[in-house]
Amino acid sequence: MQVRKQDAITTVSFGGGLFDYAATEALREAVREADADEGVRLLVLDCDSAGDAWPDMGDWPERLRHRRSAGAHGPGPLPEQDAIKALRAFMKPTLALLRGKTLGLALDFACVCDLRLASADAEIGDPRIRQGRAAATGIAYLLPKLIGQAHAMRVLLLGEALDAAEAKRIGLVHEVAPAGGFDERAGALAAEIAALPTRAWAVHKLQVLPQLDLPFDAAMTHSLGVRQTHVIEDRAEGMRAWRERRAPEFTGR
Amino acid sequence: MSDESALVVQDDGPVRHLIFNRPEKLNALDLDQHARIKRAVETAATEPGVRVLALSGNGRAFCAGDDLRAEAPAGDDPLAGRRVELEVGAGPVLLLEAAAALRACPKPTVALMHGHALGSGYDYSLSCDFRVATADVNYGDPRIHRALWAAEGWAYKLPRLVNQAVVAPIAYLGETMDGATALELGLLHEVYPPGADVRVEAAPFLRDLACLDAAAYAETKALILAGGDTAFEQALGVF
Repeated sequence: MQVRKQDAITTVSFGGGLFDYAATEALREAVREADADEGVRLLVLDCDSAGDAWPDMGDWPERLRHRRSAGAHGPGPLPEQDAIKALRAFMKPTLALLRGKTLGLALDFACVCDLRLASADAEIGDPRIRQGRAAATGIAYLLPKLIGQAHAMRVLLLGEALDAAEAKRIGLVHEVAPAGGFDERAGALAAEIAALPTRAWAVHKLQVLPQLDLPFDAAMTHSLGVRQTHVIEDRAEGMRAWRERRAPEFTGR
Repeated sequence: MSDESALVVQDDGPVRHLIFNRPEKLNALDLDQHARIKRAVETAATEPGVRVLALSGNGRAFCAGDDLRAEAPAGDDPLAGRRVELEVGAGPVLLLEAAAALRACPKPTVALMHGHALGSGYDYSLSCDFRVATADVNYGDPRIHRALWAAEGWAYKLPRLVNQAVVAPIAYLGETMDGATALELGLLHEVYPPGADVRVEAAPFLRDLACLDAAAYAETKALILAGGDTAFEQALGVF
């Protein structure tokens, strides 16, 4: 796994390998660092990975041993959940790039992002059920809300790999780019997002995610609470640019 | 601020039309207009002769969104507007309450959209039971491009109307949609030819809605709206 920061964008590349515990923890740390770094306005996950190295994930590293409950049914999904939770709590924009194989745990990470861009030749799916495993990473919660229960049942219970066009049809990815021009399109989309008023993006997201679980009245109160307690400095520039009939230049604050 | 002529209330048999009527402003909404919409919706909900409530706009657009000029006095200080709102408490509350009143209306509600249908106008449409539009509609929520607040309930409504995945392009990226795209996403019920008079085109659909049994409609609607917030066993327990 590789983490690099360029301009206002942090990119975490899964690099085609399989996830082990160390990789899930490295991802979690990368998310935390991007969160703490005020210069970062976008987190990109390059999700080329066939998932976790499950036959090798029976033994926890020694440093995690204390987290294993006595008499457990094998190792739990805590490190994976930590990374998922860190991404879910990350309010700046997140963009997932799906190329090569994006399967299992890699799809979980892609699905907790805000936007998904797929390469036309990507293989996308969750084969864990065909490996006799149940995914306990939160995907059973995330996916029905994301694409509707009918499509989610198919993805999680049949375990087939979808091509990019089918993933687009069911809403699992937002856009498909030709394999040849994928890096170019990914770069352009990332630059476009990083130039947006990303603080406003975060405040929008701060309404959407908790309100998925709130009853209507509580959701309305929540919206007002978010509105009254968060400042978007770029709002002044948005108004100024509108009055002066020019393109705004946002800081992300 | 807008005056009383900004909202035309007009009955076509059992169909109550609420028509945005500030065509020179592309029907942009200010606080007065939100208050007016709320009153009109609450009135329509209680009048027995009204069986369907339809929102539409006069002129070139359904609604271009918030009237940013009305916001202008807040100036360049990002905190200035917030302080005023905190003191008065009226701004966001009015927008939100009007959209909530529309959602709670027990009668069939339909947004008839053409031209621009953006921002707060789009938010009102999400409170309706059905949305119809001309194919050349410019529909969506570009408020992010001005770093504007958007707190009228779309964040609750949009993922439940369609799904969470559509939130990102619409709300975060601020991409607007034409009729075909919105139909494909499941946001629109019917799409009419470009440039068509949406009130004329939608008339048969509105008449069909007016023929439905009002009590059955109200009860079914209430169950659907509550169902989004209820565990399955609880939802069954209603009967």
